[in-house]
Amino acid sequence: MEFDEQNLPVPGLAVWKRVSPTQFRFTLKDSIQPFHDGSPFTSGDVKATLESILKPENASPHRGDLISIQKIETPDSRNIDIFLKSPDSFFPDRLRVGILPRKKIEEKHPFHTQPVGNGPFIFLLWPEEGSLKIKRMFDGQIFEFLYVKDHTVRVLKLLKGEIDMLQNDLPPELVSLLAKDQRVRVIKGKGSNFTYLGFNMEDPVVGRLGVRKAIAHALNREDMIRYVLGGAARPASALLPPEHWAGNQNLIFYSYNPVKAKNFLNQEGFDEQRLPKITYKTSSDPFRVRLATIIQRQLEKVGFEVDVRSYDWGTFYGDIKGGRFQMFSLTWVGITTPDIFHMIFHSESVPPNGANRGRFQNAVADQLIVQAQRADTRETQMDLYRHLQEVLLDQLPYIPLWYEDHFFAGNKNLEGYQLAPDGNYDGLSRISLNRKNKQ
Amino acid sequence: MGFWVPITVFLFWVILGLGSPFLNLDPEQMDLSKILNPPSLGFWLGYDDLGRSIADRLMAGATTSLVVSISVVGITLMIGTFVGTLSGYWGGWVDHGMVRLMDIFLAFPGLLLAIAMAGVLGPGIENVVMALCVVGWVGFARLSRAQVISIKQREHVQAALAIGLGRTQIILKHLLPLTLAPLIVEATFSLAGVVIAEASLSFLGLGVQPPDPSWGSMIRDGAQYMLVAPHMVIFPGIAVMLVVLAVNLLGDRFRDWLDVKSG
Amino acid sequence: MVRFLFSRVISASIVMLGVSCLVFLLIHLIPGDPVEVMLGETARPVDREALRQALGLNQPIHQQWWGYMKGLLHLDLGVSLHSKRPIFDLLKERFPVTFELTFFSLLVAVGLGFPLGVVAAVNKGTPWDYFAIGISILGVSIPIFWLGPLMILLFSYGLGWFPVSGREGIASIFLPAFTLGFAMSAILSRMVRSSLLEILSEDYIRTARAKGIQEWRVIWYHTLRNAMLPVITVLGLQLGALLGGTVIIEWVFSWPGIGQLTIEAIQKRDYPLVQGCVLMISLTYVLVNTGIDFVYGWLDPRIRLSEEG
Repeated sequence: MEFDEQNLPVPGLAVWKRVSPTQFRFTLKDSIQPFHDGSPFTSGDVKATLESILKPENASPHRGDLISIQKIETPDSRNIDIFLKSPDSFFPDRLRVGILPRKKIEEKHPFHTQPVGNGPFIFLLWPEEGSLKIKRMFDGQIFEFLYVKDHTVRVLKLLKGEIDMLQNDLPPELVSLLAKDQRVRVIKGKGSNFTYLGFNMEDPVVGRLGVRKAIAHALNREDMIRYVLGGAARPASALLPPEHWAGNQNLIFYSYNPVKAKNFLNQEGFDEQRLPKITYKTSSDPFRVRLATIIQRQLEKVGFEVDVRSYDWGTFYGDIKGGRFQMFSLTWVGITTPDIFHMIFHSESVPPNGANRGRFQNAVADQLIVQAQRADTRETQMDLYRHLQEVLLDQLPYIPLWYEDHFFAGNKNLEGYQLAPDGNYDGLSRISLNRKNKQ
Repeated sequence: MGFWVPITVFLFWVILGLGSPFLNLDPEQMDLSKILNPPSLGFWLGYDDLGRSIADRLMAGATTSLVVSISVVGITLMIGTFVGTLSGYWGGWVDHGMVRLMDIFLAFPGLLLAIAMAGVLGPGIENVVMALCVVGWVGFARLSRAQVISIKQREHVQAALAIGLGRTQIILKHLLPLTLAPLIVEATFSLAGVVIAEASLSFLGLGVQPPDPSWGSMIRDGAQYMLVAPHMVIFPGIAVMLVVLAVNLLGDRFRDWLDVKSG
Repeated sequence: MVRFLFSRVISASIVMLGVSCLVFLLIHLIPGDPVEVMLGETARPVDREALRQALGLNQPIHQQWWGYMKGLLHLDLGVSLHSKRPIFDLLKERFPVTFELTFFSLLVAVGLGFPLGVVAAVNKGTPWDYFAIGISILGVSIPIFWLGPLMILLFSYGLGWFPVSGREGIASIFLPAFTLGFAMSAILSRMVRSSLLEILSEDYIRTARAKGIQEWRVIWYHTLRNAMLPVITVLGLQLGALLGGTVIIEWVFSWPGIGQLTIEAIQKRDYPLVQGCVLMISLTYVLVNTGIDFVYGWLDPRIRLSEEG
């Protein structure tokens, strides 16, 4: 599957037909490219990939998506029949995982260090973290990714032509600087990646709803967006952005109201003698630390005692995935289908079964999630998901912050690049360097 | 130019450093609308990336540098002089061993040992002081030992010994006053060195932790924005440079004055 | 001379032993449980136990020390926690990189400091002298981690002459070497100046002048050669500051040497790697200093002569 602007699924590698409530037939398109190792793309590869994900011993995080599959058959090299355990109208939504060549799966090829696929780019080299080399299939153009930790150095390298382009990950002041410079072209676009504060529901302080509501009222998101993000974000009230087909356009976020925040804290039994203490974990990216420091300050103003701890990415993400936190901030990148709600908020999705790292347990939410997944029509689904997002905004397992805009900055002779709402690099498949303008 | 300018700068630093906790400063007060504002008439040094007043942070940073440097110099002066004097006085194996020990500490170039210790002990101002003390005692020990050794031979000490004055008396009344002067010179240079060392450690992220202000971490934060808000990196750097310059110049003057006296 | 060399070798060996012991102690200075600090408060007990075993932290301390020393003799410094590679290999890779930086910094230091000092001494009292003294005082007081970003701002962003950071292409050595070398040249120039001044007032120089030997000959043959001795002393003393400064400069300019590795290791709490780096830098320093001692001893006729016969 692939997804359109509203994140509705459209056929990617295959078209499908629903043969019976529990059987789907997928027919591979003619235009499919062979795999990068030369082998042709057949139904056998699809079957092998999906079965490999379903094998419990492989412990795949995608297994939950496909668990309704009972059996897969391949009547010929272009058709795949998938039989489900129970009726699921929207089963094709779940088939967004990339397909791998069957032979290599059988050989136990190390896909995690040497990916092989059939997309527009072929993998060349990945010698170390942050350094990647890929080649575009149709014209052989080579793309090299470099890790440059310091924001200033990245900007200077771009200005001096040492690198050709960069995308995201700069404070807005530097983006403005680039936009003003003649040597560089800057493209901006709205984003759909969801930045939020996450909480540990079992913690004695933040596990209490009143405390979370206090936090929500204590945040001045408008000021942060205007001054710190330079206006390059949209305030969020839910996981899915409003333009998503399952998004809820009518949600109203908690107002910036320090007095209300203090009241909530008092109701929960906290005051000057008994301060609510929060350890706030963040990655060591300087921009995130900056935001965390500001949030710390806003929370301290209503009576919280906040300790910001920043960690390098590996340690930080490991802690988050393992549920070892009180409060943290992160961004969900690349969300396409509402199945994500099950993965994040359903009570049975506590790690290692899913991504409910905060251990959110709410019967109403559970019910809505399950109903939405079983729904028969898109309309029913939309209603259920809207209702679900209202509940989530009320219960605040996450406090939504904003959807950050994306930007691309590159050599002015680069043409044809398009930003994606989730900040991915798919635009590289169409980018080209116009050498006629280069002196 | 020699004396008055540096002493003024030095006193200014000391007064600021001692007084800033009592001024009505709020180095952590954030006003988001003022983020990265450059210096202007009303706000003489501008604001940083979190909307904090750089002037306030600079003044609070003066306290940090003053407290750390005075503590470190004070502690190392006492420990180093004590150890060095005793070693020089006793001589023999004790002295030999002490010299080797000093050589070992001196074998770590520059700030390396301090960086490693601060890294190992963890962040925080107390650990910075500890790390710098571990590294700094050697200078005073070496100096006082050399002084004691040269003085030991001098006649009036022999005379005192002959008369039968006790050893403690000799050390206190005769040895120490003569060693004091070069020690003060050394202490001055050491002060300058510690200011830079503390700033260096904070710059590397090993010292004073945010949000506590330190000139070193201000320079580190400011360097990130130097393309768009150079005032953030320039002012703390000037502060460090001025203080270190002033103290070094004062040390020079002291030493010249001493040379004249003893020459 | 031989006795001199021999005693130097002995004391250097003792110092190196002491340095190794001190570095060994570093990991035991960690407040609390070192394994917990290295892996984070949330590591699984089985991982912690594995690390404890690997680092030998279960054993009594003298056994640990002995194991550590034995390892050193076999050039086994352990394995980096983060990259899982043998520490000795990492150090071996990065050593030439750091050496490059120190070498060129030294060139800058001597290239700037020496002429500056000569100019100051020869023109004592004139504006040239004050200028030189001024530069040298500035060099001593300016923090190199501030000078670095300023140089980048001016020469890389403003004028665009040099690359910003990292080690790619010949031009990339310039800013880091200059920043480090400048600070050193300041101290060096003062030493050259005062040492020259001392000699210039000595009797044998006055004699030479009285004899009518040309001024430049006086300066070159008689003065400078004798001034070398204290200069080399200072160079040796300053080497420490240079090596220490390398750590900071490598960090500021992302120069991929041992200094940068040290700071990264500290940030990642990879303490075995921190130990390895500190050990390598310090031992190198001791060796170089001993080498300088040899040169010094060879140059100073007093030492050379006193041991012979």
